[in-house]
This record gives sequence, C-alpha cells and structure tokens, in this order.
Amino acid sequence: MTQRHKLWGTLILLACFHALVFFAGFFAPYDFATHNRELTFAPPTRIHFVDSQGTIHVRPFVYGLQNDPANAGIYVADSTRIYPIRFFSRGSAYKLAGVFQSRLHLLSVDDPGRLFLMGTDAFGRDQLSRFLYGGRISLMAGWIAAGLSLLIGIIVGTLAGYFGGWIDQILMRGGELFLALPWLYLLFAVRAALPLHIAEWQVFLLLVAVMGLIGWARPARLIRGVVLSAKERNFVLAARGFGASDLHIVCRHVLPQTYGVVLTQMTLLIPQYVLAEVTLSFLGLGVSEPIPSWGTLLAALQQYYVLSSFWWMFLPALFLIPVFLLYYAAADALQERLASVPL
Amino acid sequence: MRYLAHRLIHATLLLLAISFFSFALLQIAPGDYFDSMRLNPQISRQTLTGIRAEYGLDRPIPVRYAHWLASLLNGDLGVSLASRGPVAPVLRMRARNTLVLSGTATLLAWLLALPIGIWSAAKRNGWADRISGVATSALLTIPDLVLFLGLLLLAIRTGWFPAGGMRTEAAGGSDLWSSAKDFALHLVLPAFGVAVVSLPVFVRHIRAAMLEALESPFLRAARGHGIPNSRLLFRYALPAASNSLISLFGFSVATMLSVSALAEIILSWPGLGPLLVESILSRDVYVVVAIVMLSSVFLVAGNLLADLLLFASDPRIRME
Amino acid sequence: MRNDAKAQRDVSEPEPLVRIQNLSKHYVQHRPFTRAKFTVHALEDASLTIRRGTTLALIGESGSGKSTLARCLALLEEASSGAIWFAGENLVDLTPKELFHFRRRIQLIFQDPTSALNPRLTAAEIVAEPLAIQKEGTKASRRGRALELMAQVGLPADCEYKRPFEFSGGQRQRLAIARALALEPELLILDEALSSLDLANQEMLLELLAELQAAQSLTYLHISHDLRLVSQCADEVAVMNERMIVEQKSAQELFANPEHPYTRELLAAMPSLESICLERSA
Repeated sequence: MTQRHKLWGTLILLACFHALVFFAGFFAPYDFATHNRELTFAPPTRIHFVDSQGTIHVRPFVYGLQNDPANAGIYVADSTRIYPIRFFSRGSAYKLAGVFQSRLHLLSVDDPGRLFLMGTDAFGRDQLSRFLYGGRISLMAGWIAAGLSLLIGIIVGTLAGYFGGWIDQILMRGGELFLALPWLYLLFAVRAALPLHIAEWQVFLLLVAVMGLIGWARPARLIRGVVLSAKERNFVLAARGFGASDLHIVCRHVLPQTYGVVLTQMTLLIPQYVLAEVTLSFLGLGVSEPIPSWGTLLAALQQYYVLSSFWWMFLPALFLIPVFLLYYAAADALQERLASVPL
Repeated sequence: MRYLAHRLIHATLLLLAISFFSFALLQIAPGDYFDSMRLNPQISRQTLTGIRAEYGLDRPIPVRYAHWLASLLNGDLGVSLASRGPVAPVLRMRARNTLVLSGTATLLAWLLALPIGIWSAAKRNGWADRISGVATSALLTIPDLVLFLGLLLLAIRTGWFPAGGMRTEAAGGSDLWSSAKDFALHLVLPAFGVAVVSLPVFVRHIRAAMLEALESPFLRAARGHGIPNSRLLFRYALPAASNSLISLFGFSVATMLSVSALAEIILSWPGLGPLLVESILSRDVYVVVAIVMLSSVFLVAGNLLADLLLFASDPRIRME
Repeated sequence: MRNDAKAQRDVSEPEPLVRIQNLSKHYVQHRPFTRAKFTVHALEDASLTIRRGTTLALIGESGSGKSTLARCLALLEEASSGAIWFAGENLVDLTPKELFHFRRRIQLIFQDPTSALNPRLTAAEIVAEPLAIQKEGTKASRRGRALELMAQVGLPADCEYKRPFEFSGGQRQRLAIARALALEPELLILDEALSSLDLANQEMLLELLAELQAAQSLTYLHISHDLRLVSQCADEVAVMNERMIVEQKSAQELFANPEHPYTRELLAAMPSLESICLERSA
C-alpha cells in the first residue's frame, strides 16, 4: 500500500467514525439517559432471522425480553413476541448535531421491544447509545484541548524562536516548569482546584481548558526548533533585504514551515487528551452523571461483580482500541508523507 | 564542577517554583475540606471557624505558603485533614508501596526492553525486528486504562491471581515464606501491567539509539577492519548509544512515582495514586500538595541524575 | 569592448556610486557555561569604491570577509564602524524608515539559489514578493510585473505556477535575479552567485547579466573566488585578504601589474588555459 493510500485510508476511516459520533442521535437507537428499570444489566440483544417455528424472515427481528421468574437478574427471550427491526424510523426526539430537531433513527424496534446491541448498564440504559453520545464528549474534549495546547504552543514557540534573547529564556524556563510537573498528578490537582459543584458544561469547559493549558510545553519546544532553523534560511534574509517587517516574515515564511510539525503533533495530541479525559471521568474527576463520556461508561467496571458477570460492559473499552489505532496510524502515515515531500 | 553546581541550583529553583505553583493552585479553590460539615446543623459556625483557624485555613495564601515551606524544611509535611494526623508517615508508607511496585515494573521493563531493542537493531528488518515492531505499535495503541481493566478481568475470571490489593488478610499467623509468596502473587499483575505500559517506549528508544550507533561511520570503519559482529555490538555500538540510554534511565527514575498511579487505582494497590484521588475528592489540601511535590522531586531528581551520569560518562560534555 | 564605452562614461561622473570607508565588523560570542566572551573579527578597515554602471569584482579566499562586506553593503547586517556612502548618503546613519526606502536601490543575489527561494511559493509569487513588501500596486499588477521580469531573465511564461524544486540550478538563479530586479535597484551584489553552477550555465548567466547591465545601467559588485570568471566580466578588481582590501585597480592593470604580494600569489596560482592545453598535449 502506498503512502498516499495509507494516509487517506486512515483519514477516511477516522472521518467515518467521527461522523458516527457526530450524528449520534441518528445512529443511536435510544437517548443516553433513558432508564429501563426492569431491564438492568441486560445482555446484548440477539438478532434473529429464523423464528422458533422455522420461518425465515427477510427483516431481522428480536424477541421480547423478560425477567426469568426463577432467577432474578437473568433474562429470557420470549419467542412469542417478535419485534422486527425497523430502519430509518421515527423514534425519540433529539437534536441533530445539536441544532436541528429530528426524530429519525437508523435502527429501532417498536415498544415494548428493546434493541440493546451492546447490552444495558445498572440503570437499564442502552450502552450503544451511551457509547456514541459519550464519544462526543470524549472526542470533543480531546480535540479542543489539543487545539488549545497547540495554539499556545505555536504562539510561545514562534515568539521564543523568532525573537530569542530574554523572551526565549523566560518562555522556555516556563515551559520547563510545565514539563517537570507530572502531568497526570497535575491534572488531578488542578481538577481539585475547581469547585466540585458547578454546572456540567462549565466542568467540561474548565476541564478542557486545564488540559490544554498544561500540555503546551512540548509542542512549543518543537515549534521553536522549526522557527529557529527557518529564520536563518536565506529566503528570510532575502525578504529582509526587501524591507519585510517581522510580521510579514513570520506569517509568510516562518509559520508555513511549521505546518508539518503542527499537523503531526495534532494527530498525536488528540488521542492523548482523549485518554486524559477518559481517565479523569473514569475516576470521577471529570464529567459526571448523567452526561456520558467513555470514562463514565468504564467507571462501572471498577466494581468486581460488574466486571466478572457482565462481559458486555467491557465492550466500550475494547472499542477504544481501534479508535486510538486509527489516530496513531494516521500520525505515522502523516509523518511519512511529510518526510518524503521535497520541502 | 561548575556545571554540576549550575544544574543543582537550576533544579532547586525549579522545585521551589513547582511547590509554589501547586500550593497556590489548590488554595485558590473555592470551598475546602470542611464544606461538608457546614451542612450539618449540629455544628455551629463558630466551631467551624475555630477548626479552620486551627488548621490555619483562614490566613492569606502567602502566609500559608511561607508557613508550609518552613515546616517542610523541618521535615513536617503538614496535617492531613482526613486523618487528623501528620501527612509524612502516611506518605512514607504509601510511597514505599508505590516504589516497590514501580521499581519492580521498571526493572522488568528494562530487562525485557534491552535485549529486544538491541536484537531488533542488530538484525534490522529481520523477522524478530518486524514482530517486535508490530507488537510495540500494538501495545502503544492500547490505552493503559483498558490494559489494567483487562488484567483485572483476567484475575477475576481465572482466579490465578488475586484481584487487587497488596495482601490477603490471613486468618491466623503466617510464616515468612507464605506471606512473601502471597505478596509476590499480589504484585504480579500490577507490576506486569505497568511494565507492559512502559515497555514499548523503552524498546523504541533503545532500538533507535542502537540503530544510530550501528549506522555511524566509525562503526562501519570498525566493521571494515573485520571486527566480529558481537564485539561490534557490545564494545562499540552500545557505548556509543549510551547517551540516549542514560537519558532514558533518567526518565525512568523521574516517572517512578507517577507511572503506576492508574494501575494502583484500578488494582487497589495501596500506593500514592489512590491516596491522591481520595484526597482530591475530599479536598485534603496538604496531602495533595505533598504528593505533587514528592513526584516533582522525583522528576527533577531523575533528570538531574541523568545529567550527572552523562557528565561522568561522556568526556565531550565535560570539555564544554 | 564594453569597457571602453564605460570608461568614457566614467569621466563625466566624478563621484563613485558606492564608497566604502574603513568598514569594520566584529561579532561577540559567549562561551557556553562561562562568562567569557571572545570577539570574531569579520571585517577590518575595508575600503573600496564602485563607479556607476561598472562591474567591480571582489576576489579573495574563503574567510577573508567578502560575504560580510556584501551583507553590510546590502543592509542585511550592521557594520561596527566605518561608513558606506551610496549616491551621497551614508547608509550607516539612516533611520529605519529611510532604510526601508533605500532597500530598493541595493539588492543581493545569494550563492545558493535553492536556499534563497521559499520552496512553498510559486515562481510568480517569489518574484512579486518584493513588490508586495514595498506595497506597490495591486495583486494583479504585481503579477503582471512578475511575468515581465521572468521574461527578461529568459524564463518562459508557463513557469508561473511552478515551485523552485521544479527548476534547474541555473533557472533558479535566474529567478533570484528576476526577483532582485523587481524594485529596479541601482546596485546588484552577486555573492558568489555563479559558483554553484556548471560552466555552461555560468556563461549563459554572464551574458544575461551583461545584457541587463547595458539595458538598465546597473552597477554590479561581483564577489567570486574564480579568477577566470572575473577576468571575463570585471571592469575593476579589488583584492581582499585577511579581512582587508589590499588592492583595487582596473582589471587590465591588475592582471598585468599586480602590486600587492598576495595578489601576485593569487594570480600565480591560477593556471591559464593555454598552459593546461600544452601540458595535456605533451
């Protein structure tokens, strides 16, 4: 597979995944907070094509679920009640991309049938829906925090590299300070500095801001390196010879040289920050109920009985792996591609 | 000598800045440990104010910082609001547990990474290199959270290892051998997990350092002289790569306290990690600051150690 | 010959275009980890003159300070002491604002054209950049002028959107020259501009430079270590040794009667084409 194929392949796959998460309302059968008190810890619903009488149905269907009267907590499929899976049907209302009202869902079954493709949790909430909605929070946190870190890194790195002297000294010493702090612990500590009882979206924003503010030092150093070598190039000198101002040189000649580094850093930082958000939420230090995040989804696993008896609760953890794989593969492919372009 | 003094001063200043930074950060947080008490109607406001004053929580930040710094230099790390006792002993015990875990894990990681890294570099693009490359990338992609949860799942499902904790409560006396075995069994999973998390980073660095050394002109010249490969590898390439290896070693030491945090939390190992989370959730300020400071000390010390070792081993640095 | 026509012109213009007087430049560097400083002397009391419309060649070995002189003259570096008189103004004394306007009149062509051109920009953008910096005209008019300049230096119009890496070495240098001419300078400094090219390209560019000089009455300061090249294009030659100018004369005089011992050594070391042919055939 050529370089270009690798790069575009991973990027397209990533885009597809992000589309899934972005349009979570459409792809998820249910809302993230809908409780089903009688169906707590239900296993993933089996999809059938052939019913108990041996008839083959064109449209896949699920059986009704009910509690086994003999064993509490065990579910038995009731083969007398058949609920076909409907595509592109109307279900609960949601806001498409947070803006447009819509009731269109990709998959659903009629009430009182239930379609739990990834099982349910302690409150009977559909795990698949929570996974998709949770992805929004976790991925968004990762993207915004990474963006913030990079923005600060670009500004600091360019100032330090271009002007040198005492500006460079101060900024780089400051960066050392941030690099010396153990970031996980610092994240915890700063989270502690935030009031524990504030509005949900404020928690999210503060969390993101904190993550972004801590991680600028490494990108700043890298960008400073690029700026240092760029400003010595002859075409910068030539531009100066025409009377170019510092601003012109920085914008037209120096910054474009940093694009490669910025892009690769972005693809590396996003998964790191997503993981940071997931870890924080997992420990109860991030977003809290009922807002789903991949971290809160995994938090239930801290209880032994959940981990041992309900295997489907581990699925969100497993699905995280391909997401990170895609990001790292994209970062690799990007680095290869950039290294080979004759710039 | 001047170089060392320079680095030492630098490190001290850095630590001072970190201490102030973390201290200030926590003190500006609205609300404190005794907030929950406020809701209790049986405790009067005067009592609360009294308690606060007793812990010095009513004085301005710089004063508190100066006070804390002074007592720090006396070896007193403040008072834990949760346990009402001094912070230092609690920290000592927890830190010891953490170091046992991360020390074992780091040792394990190095013991595995060195041969793998060197072999991969020596037989570049051979089957061993390719396999280890794929394995390293795979390990890097798995988030540590998922890995530790997976290990916990393994413990629960198979029962081969205890699912967390550091010791089992023994009914009746136990001799040294069985309690040692018990301890070891408890140590296996978390140590293995932390080792696996650090392994790919080490292998990549070692391989890269060895490759650079193996492809340098002086080594090619040595090969041209007919020096056998094994000698080339260990007497020529390895010393040349030692700068990177020493830096990596410094990095290991530096992250000794923080690398096992997540493992401790998930696998219930009584180290600094769980203590930190608890203290944050309950706003036990002095404990939090003490832990952050302690791990910063390790970080700075690790880098300093690496610098010193480099100074001692590389004459080029001494000449500057 | 060209030189005769110019010699006649010289008589009517008394004041040289450029007069460099006692120019010195030194750098102060710090040793790492200590407070000790040491000074690097790059230029020591250099003086030379260039007459309008002529080509002065500056020769000398590497490290003699030729590039430093070029950069000080091109206003890319600040001299430590001395004066640079250009058309009656002392460039050393100029304010930044005046400097901005003066830059149009003196331009530098670098030795390595690859590093002197921003690899991300297209040819037309590169040539138009000086106009943009000096805020001349509109985007469209700048593009038009860029195309004109590219035609002047012999680059076909379809190269407009090509990037530097798509050109050959000789073409890149032509591009650099086109860019330098954008602001209609009076003095063009060529800092070993032909050294990185093969002989064929060198010939072609020398021809181009001669044409441009005649058409636009340009003045050239041609820095080189290649005496053969110098003998082809220079009206006057200045010799630089150990960061000082040791001799300046018209080309004919210098080659015929070198005065300074260093100049003699330099000339003696240069093999003439006839002697090489004789050796080979023997």
